[in-house]
Amino acid sequence: MRILILGAGAIGGYVGGRLHQSGADVTFLVRPPRREALQRDGLVIKSTKGDITQKVKTVLKGAEGGPYDVVLLTCKAYDLNSAIEAIAPAVGPDTTVVPLLNGMRHIDTLAAKFGDGKVVGGLARVGVALSPEGAILHTSPFAAISFGERDGKPARKALVELDAAVKKSGVDGGLHANIVQDLWDKWIMLCSLATMCCLMRGTSGDILEADEGEAIMLETVEECRQVAAAAGYDPGETGMVNVRSFLTQKGSRFAASMLHDLEKASMVEADHAVGDMIARARKAGIATPNLRIAYAHLQVYLARRARGGIGKPAL
Amino acid sequence: MKILILGAGAVGGYWGARLHQAGVDVTFLLREKRAETVRRGGLVVKSPKGDAVVPVKVVTRGEEGGPYDVVILACKAYDLDSAIAAITPAVDPDTTIVPMLNGHAHFATLDERFGAARVAGGLARISGMLGPNGEILNSGGSGVSFGERDGKPARPALVALDAACKKAGIDGGLNPDINQDLWDKWVMLGTIATMCAAMRGTVGDIVAAADGAALMSETLDECCRVAAANGHAPNPKVRASLEAGLTQPGSKAVASILGDMEKGGAVEARSIVGDMLARARKAGLAAPNLRFAYAHLQAYEARRARGALK
Repeated sequence: MRILILGAGAIGGYVGGRLHQSGADVTFLVRPPRREALQRDGLVIKSTKGDITQKVKTVLKGAEGGPYDVVLLTCKAYDLNSAIEAIAPAVGPDTTVVPLLNGMRHIDTLAAKFGDGKVVGGLARVGVALSPEGAILHTSPFAAISFGERDGKPARKALVELDAAVKKSGVDGGLHANIVQDLWDKWIMLCSLATMCCLMRGTSGDILEADEGEAIMLETVEECRQVAAAAGYDPGETGMVNVRSFLTQKGSRFAASMLHDLEKASMVEADHAVGDMIARARKAGIATPNLRIAYAHLQVYLARRARGGIGKPAL
Repeated sequence: MKILILGAGAVGGYWGARLHQAGVDVTFLLREKRAETVRRGGLVVKSPKGDAVVPVKVVTRGEEGGPYDVVILACKAYDLDSAIAAITPAVDPDTTIVPMLNGHAHFATLDERFGAARVAGGLARISGMLGPNGEILNSGGSGVSFGERDGKPARPALVALDAACKKAGIDGGLNPDINQDLWDKWVMLGTIATMCAAMRGTVGDIVAAADGAALMSETLDECCRVAAANGHAPNPKVRASLEAGLTQPGSKAVASILGDMEKGGAVEARSIVGDMLARARKAGLAAPNLRFAYAHLQAYEARRARGALK
């Protein structure tokens, strides 16, 4: 099985690096500067699960070496259009596209472009970042991906093979029988944490120090749960207990990566991770006051960023 | 008339400098470090109404002098306790205290300490900040407002202070309805501080968000309802002009609390936002936006306290 990974960033670099390390046939589709760095330094992973530096295969164009059996998409949502353009030449009639993005909306976009049958569901759970030198810094104790057929039917051959390769690589997770539920579960967690950490500009522990921090946090989780339930994917009580207890852990230093992005003046997945949740809530007639004000906060950030006002005194 | 001003920041410093220039007997009560700067270089004022270096009288704790007819409190709410301790030796039975703090919470503390009769109402509409060398950077606004909280005719000290302000070119002055003015200012400040803090942007940035103007108007409504429940709803004209200003696209207006946060400084969270929220609750009013903003400010304070601000 031949796997193409778009980009060699934090998630794609980590997962692709582990797959390559365990003998899978992995190619990275990258831009010229990244290829130069990879050829010079190799793909560098510094990880709680062991460091490794290795030579990897790279191409500059999707048409090179294609079509592939599996294309792993690990871009940010705001880069989706350029990502689609880049991978399109690598996608043949039998290629399976496995997006590992947050949220849901990208799946419709990808299905419209490549055909519903070629696009499966997928997500990543890994705390990882790219150093300024291009090294993959994996800091979380866990590193997992999850993927599967969106219609719940038995997995196609490419996914069964990808599952085997993932298990061999030491990356946790793999094939998931109800990937759409898993996508919603992750989105509920991510959307709750990202909206609250950004709106409050602090870790979950900082938020819980406010008189009503816990109440606001739990309301937000409930807003997201209702949206998922309206779509037919209520996580159920067991799932919700875990989310709630994680988000209300006193003293937690955990913050959404979106807050780190805000504090670096970077782009954020506001529309994809939050705006789309609100749009689905509206459609279902669900009130989401907490998501609304958090989304406004993110839009204010983007407006200020667009005028070059981040990092300069507001006053 | 002898005036003591506690604090030589954007409000007290500007006001006192202008009074001194107009020949009024003004003394500043300052902390050692600030006292030294002002003694050495005078009060440096940069303002659209004219720059000046003003060699004002300065005292520090233990050498307060007095008695004074008027003591002006120009400190932040979170410094109120130390400010009270500092002015106490300078306050005698005939002294009138004019606090220029935001909100309402400080009155209970001052009344208890000095007796309500000695505490007048007061507020500043002096916009500006301190520069890196302690210079007063005034951005144009230079009004003050003060008066009797019981609505009775003003005592001689306030009449004299009013005359001194007029002589010094300070706008405003004696206000026969200072309580309404205090609420009007708190409604304005409560709204803009809530929104600029919770959204971390200027009015123009906020209005650029899809629901930004709506959130601003809702917040103004929350504050107006609290004022109304306390018998001081802003009149419709005041409210309309506030709303127009606070929802103006491209506006560079911003609450100073955001400037404080971006410098990692202390914030008047409780007196400007928390107390408004508490009064909303007491009156049985929903105030969701005040609630979010107060949580935001408390999360900021928690993060600041653990030394983890970015």
